[in-house]
Amino acid sequence: MKCDKFIEALGARVKILEVTRQYEDQVTALVGLSDLPEAVRFLYYDMGGYLSTMVANDERSINKNYALYYALSMEGGKMFEGDEIAQDEKCFVTVKVLVSPENLTYPSVTPLVPACVWYEREAYDMFGLIADGLPDKRRLVLSDDWPEDLFPLRKDAMDYRYRPDMKEHYNEPEYEFLRPEGSGIIDVPLGPLHVTADEPGHFRLFCDGDIIVDADYRLFYQHRGMEKLAENRMNYDQMGYLAERVCGICGYAHAIACIEAAEKAINLEIPARAQAIRIICSEIERLHSHLLNIGLACEVTGNYTAFMHIFRIREYSMKLAELVTGGRKTYGNVVMGGLRRDITGVEIKESLRILKIIETQVEEVWDAVMDDKRQIKRWKGVGVLDKQVARDFSAVGPNIRGSGIKRDTRYDHPYDFFKQIEFDIAVVEGGDVFAREMVRYLELKSSVSIIRQCFELMPQTAIIVDPTFHVKPENFALAYVEAPRGENVHWIMQGSAQKVFRWRCRAATYNNWPSLRFQFRGNTIADAALIVCSLDPCYSCTERVTVVDIKSKKSKILTNKDLKDFSKTLKNSPMKDLR
Amino acid sequence: MMKLLDITEKYGKATHKYPFEPYKVATNFRGKPAYIFDLCIGCAACGIACPSNAITVQFNADQSKLVWEFDCGRCIFCGRCDEVCPTGAIRLSEEFELAVKFDKSALIQRGELDTQFCTECNKPFTAKRLIKYSFECLSKANLGEKRLEEAASYLNICPTCKKNATVTNFTSGKEMVIE
Ligand code: SF4
Ligand code: SF4
Repeated sequence: MKCDKFIEALGARVKILEVTRQYEDQVTALVGLSDLPEAVRFLYYDMGGYLSTMVANDERSINKNYALYYALSMEGGKMFEGDEIAQDEKCFVTVKVLVSPENLTYPSVTPLVPACVWYEREAYDMFGLIADGLPDKRRLVLSDDWPEDLFPLRKDAMDYRYRPDMKEHYNEPEYEFLRPEGSGIIDVPLGPLHVTADEPGHFRLFCDGDIIVDADYRLFYQHRGMEKLAENRMNYDQMGYLAERVCGICGYAHAIACIEAAEKAINLEIPARAQAIRIICSEIERLHSHLLNIGLACEVTGNYTAFMHIFRIREYSMKLAELVTGGRKTYGNVVMGGLRRDITGVEIKESLRILKIIETQVEEVWDAVMDDKRQIKRWKGVGVLDKQVARDFSAVGPNIRGSGIKRDTRYDHPYDFFKQIEFDIAVVEGGDVFAREMVRYLELKSSVSIIRQCFELMPQTAIIVDPTFHVKPENFALAYVEAPRGENVHWIMQGSAQKVFRWRCRAATYNNWPSLRFQFRGNTIADAALIVCSLDPCYSCTERVTVVDIKSKKSKILTNKDLKDFSKTLKNSPMKDLR
Repeated sequence: MMKLLDITEKYGKATHKYPFEPYKVATNFRGKPAYIFDLCIGCAACGIACPSNAITVQFNADQSKLVWEFDCGRCIFCGRCDEVCPTGAIRLSEEFELAVKFDKSALIQRGELDTQFCTECNKPFTAKRLIKYSFECLSKANLGEKRLEEAASYLNICPTCKKNATVTNFTSGKEMVIE
């Protein structure tokens, strides 16, 4: 069976206490606490794994302990030609440990595998589990004034509606940025709102003159507590709809990842037609997401003409989504066991016509952009993601494919209909903004071809299975989907009464942020916004900002225009009538 | 750069005069659910199906009305209500212009249906229209006259009384030992 080879090798290295299989390509090995770092390092570097996700879980009601699951995607290191595991041996191996509620401590894996850093910081925020030896122990997800001893995802911690009081701003603890050593370094704050993304995130650039020496960032200003919400009040019918609201762009990928995790946990196979439609919708999402990003990468560098043209083409992809799902966003469609809406013959015909338009026009515009020397100059050599850094931090999506590493979930772990589809994996060497945009362009072309193949091959079956399946408490599984930004991984442990026990949703960008500081280094401030943009971080917030004056507790809604005007002119402060 | 300008010339104007001309949506567009009060029987199927609690069906304070309420601000346009509604009182429409200026109450729609009180215990339990609808369905079901009369007598009483009445009818009011 798949995975056995890795378990055997791991067993020769550390003592495995128990092995359980969740799905044909997923096994979990329980190891002792002291063996944890070595087990993960061995699978990661020696056996060719990438860290897909790490889940902390409060299992005191099941086995009196907390549990940690380090899920590794075994696919090969991919650092050089041939450094890859055979296609039929690729799988997921999860290393599990139990952490006792008395001392709450486990040895940190981060010193050996840097990719774990964010996960281990989050495990402290959410569960109070302390990673012994973790170099960076700062908060990650929760705000700095969150009560010290309140760990929201512990089952007995709090009601999901509870909101602790805000601290007065002068009492609020300062977030410590990691500053580089040396004199003459100035701090340049970028944010709390990114200039093109309208996305909250505070970047602190440490500069020497114009050159960025190092960078640090504080994110999660918009943490929404979805995991807690789902555990407490959602049933499976509602969960998919919540999951798609994780992101405003690649929501569909989250919906299918979430629902497929629940399906995999009980080995539920969905009809082939539903599989094909899931792929079609997620590829449409890729079309509009990549067009958005390429457009913005032009816009940040001042190339408005190209930006406008790309957005004009993007409108066709939105039309396509409207046609096949009934909404410009592909929402409200995925349920456990299949889908709720079929595609008609007329819709397919019209879709093929629109696809043709997208295909030709994308090529034309890209050709024109490539013709523009000044545009290329702004992209080339900027924000380089070193191959080794990408490997160490398990980067995903166009970000890692732009660094010459052939990692694509659709290829490594073909899900749904992908087993029957042929497509080229876009891999470009260089690691700079140019390489990443090139990957996106190539993927636009392959997406068009994937959608066509799906239309052609999709059989006339039902789109949903007979809903007589039963969820099984304590069963868990991983599901993975290649979203436009990279692999989205959802992990679900089922609970009783139609509820999930634990839902861990890991968005693609989560794996791309930690390596960003390396991408900043050595670039100029003028390129900082472009570098962040080329990562394609999730743009889930809308064009409005609520400003809360902490002293008077008054708030006001600002339009994007107000804010931009203020940033430009520094006149008419939006805060003045709040005082 | 010149190539981009050529493209502009080739495709011409891409914008519409919206909102001065209507924007045409796809045939199976999922827009705001439209409610037809006259068809609604207050069965609450939509309220149970709605994943985001946009629809609620509840009695008002003095229980004289069964209030159907829809908050479009919560709606995710999934169409579940449309799927389950037995009378077609709620259907997804093509309407998508839903923005309101700060007054969110403009997004709320209500329908008040007369309450049916239980003829035995006088408790309110459903809407009058639901009873009427059920009776119509039964009348079409090809039942014998006597059977129909019997069924109709059950329609006007609340579930608790119905249960009691059934037990009484079956046991002729006497307690029996089941062997
Ligand atoms: S469309 Fe969906 S969310 Fe909206 S009211 Fe109907 S069931 Fe509720
Ligand atoms: S008749 Fe239709 S709209 Fe009225 S309560 Fe029942 S399901 Fe809802």
